[in-house]
Amino acid sequence: MTNAATATPVPPPAVVDAARPGESRAGGAARPPRRKPASRRENVAGYGFLLPWLVGFFGLTVGPMLISLYLAFTSYNLFTDPKFIGIDNFVRMFTDDPVYMKSVGITAIYVLVGTPVKLAAALGIAMLLNYRDRGSGFFRSAFYAPSLIGASVSVAIVWRAMFANDGPVDSGLNIFGIELGGWVGNVDLVVPMMIILAVWQFGAPMVIFLAGLKQIPRELYEAAEVDGAGAFRRFRSVTLPMLSPVIFFNLLLETIHAFQIFASAFIISNGSGGPGGMTNYYTLYLYKRAFSDQQMGYASAMAWVLVVVVAIIAFVLFRTSRGWVHYSGDSK
Amino acid sequence: MFRSRRARIRSTVTAIAATGVLALTACAGGSGDEGSDGPVTLDFAFWGNDVRAEMYDEAIAAFNEEFPDIKVNVSFLGFPEFWEKRQIESTSGGLPDVMQFDYSYLRQYSENGLLLDLGPHLGEGIDTDPIDEKILDIGVVNDTTYGIATSTNAWTLYQNPKLLESIGAAPYEGGGSWEDYTDWVQATTDAAAAAGQPIYGGTDFTGRIQNFELQLRAQGSYLFNDDGEPGFDEDDLRAFWEQGAPFREGAGVPQQRLEEVYPLSGFDSAITASELTWDNFGAGYLGNLGEGYTELLLVEPPITEEGAKDLYLKPSMLHTISANTEHPEEAVELLNFLVNAPEVGAAFGTNRGLPASETQLEGVELGGLEAQIQEYEESISDRLGDPPAVPIVGYGSLEEKFRVIGTDLGLGVVTVDEAVEQFFTEMDVVLNQ
Repeated sequence: MTNAATATPVPPPAVVDAARPGESRAGGAARPPRRKPASRRENVAGYGFLLPWLVGFFGLTVGPMLISLYLAFTSYNLFTDPKFIGIDNFVRMFTDDPVYMKSVGITAIYVLVGTPVKLAAALGIAMLLNYRDRGSGFFRSAFYAPSLIGASVSVAIVWRAMFANDGPVDSGLNIFGIELGGWVGNVDLVVPMMIILAVWQFGAPMVIFLAGLKQIPRELYEAAEVDGAGAFRRFRSVTLPMLSPVIFFNLLLETIHAFQIFASAFIISNGSGGPGGMTNYYTLYLYKRAFSDQQMGYASAMAWVLVVVVAIIAFVLFRTSRGWVHYSGDSK
Repeated sequence: MFRSRRARIRSTVTAIAATGVLALTACAGGSGDEGSDGPVTLDFAFWGNDVRAEMYDEAIAAFNEEFPDIKVNVSFLGFPEFWEKRQIESTSGGLPDVMQFDYSYLRQYSENGLLLDLGPHLGEGIDTDPIDEKILDIGVVNDTTYGIATSTNAWTLYQNPKLLESIGAAPYEGGGSWEDYTDWVQATTDAAAAAGQPIYGGTDFTGRIQNFELQLRAQGSYLFNDDGEPGFDEDDLRAFWEQGAPFREGAGVPQQRLEEVYPLSGFDSAITASELTWDNFGAGYLGNLGEGYTELLLVEPPITEEGAKDLYLKPSMLHTISANTEHPEEAVELLNFLVNAPEVGAAFGTNRGLPASETQLEGVELGGLEAQIQEYEESISDRLGDPPAVPIVGYGSLEEKFRVIGTDLGLGVVTVDEAVEQFFTEMDVVLNQ
């Protein structure tokens, strides 16, 4: 066996152990230790186990994304070969498709109204659950359950039935003399109905808020109380700053999640996006363009616009977070 | 941590083998065929509901009595989902062997080489004697037969006698002008209001492209010709949609009520007393209306000009075979059975329309609604013109766009001018895609 290690002086073990990735070794002349054959085999085994994921990642994620990027610049109806049309799809989207602009509008309303209300509800309930430990396990599960089943077909069907003409909500309002004729078919009420459905599924951010609240040292509240801070002041000066990383995390996640609304809109409108296009959210309209209208090139362009918009919003949130998110050890 | 070199080698091999197995599993599709010498399995897909599924189960059971070596895997979806699935399958060559098929998509699929040329099988596997030549021609695109019509239907005006009786209103006699029909709807809605019942005379007919086509045909025009050119301009469409104003102002059912019951219509939700639609919808209407309703009326739709040949017989559906089927002979056997067998006629009645094949028609017990539909189609013979050209590629999505714009008009979220602009923009994309 050729032993290169014996020909090249090996640094003492203590020095090797002290070296951290990115740090230079004492003397600068020492070469990194040769990779041992056993380690290489471990790598092969590791990559072997990784291979299914890699195949999936490149075959089912990266590959389709690249193809979709190409299709965004084509006219493609699934049957004939894609025809390259440059940026026509993007131009049409913003200048010649009023339904697209309406879809953007209602999606923006859903995100801008639904997300803050949902987060406020999640934080409010999390604070209530954090206030008392008694029975908190039950309530935590009860409030979290809608999130587990929230995106399911059955919930959307139940939601439709609840808010339909003569459904429980409509009948309940009728008792008070408010006769709306159902929310499902009402152009003005279907948007609030969809937002209420989203807010009702606040369980996931609530659990994260609850975990964050439990991390806040009780001494801070005690000190604030000694200083004469009332409940609102303690919330503003202790809870919010200490919880800001969690708020940021939830805000980012829920914003991205809100852009992806599809299943509930599809079920409640029976795939039509109605009434009057008021449930025709971005992803539903994209889906209809691709698979009902066979305009796959246009749908791909829509998908890439969504990717870019969500990326910009995430970037802006990260940038603004520097001003209001406080991490432990932060000087801010 | 690995314990030995052998263990390391074993783990590496296991990883690669597992990957291979996963890859192979992922690739393996298989039709489930037992080989060319043994039984053959065919995939058959249709759109419909549980009621139609039971009918197909009965029909396939009868088929298997005659052809025990052909196993048929049946699957069904609602109409929009059915076509979404077919469109995805068509890109990978994975269409079912035999399909229930809609006329709107015949040109699109046949011109793209996705359907089997049935020409060589006509009279040789597919019995053509019991089917009228004109009906066989319905499945022809560019001089090649790709589909066989199972049945025909015609546009009609359905009415609900029970609802009309409950509000003391007389049925519409049929024919007459579109204004006459609008006036009758208004009068019926008023009668219902006077009787204190939440019932309406009808639905805004301008939401359906077929009513527009009827008016165009009465004027000697058409929706689209063989070259895909429209037979109407923006003014024609504007004038048509403006006819819906009385409905939107209170003569007909409010669009909000229709949105509440969608995908059912106002008619099969017992909200409206009349509806213009295809005549084979009657069985479905009675099923949805429920046990309290046993009878419907069919009369001629309004007519734009007396003596016009505006109506036509359309295939309510066709049966086609995938060009990629591995078992064309067996697929032809199944198609022929579904189109011609009297047992199938007995199973379906007029659920798929009035059977086009005489042998299949013999199997139908023509009583009640079935007899009414047959009588209706006979009664409109002097109004029947030549069928229009096979629908253009993308017609299905234009028909849906027309319906959606109709609902938007009803809800008041677009004006007629905006509606016309939207439809022409969409049509421009579809025609030039």
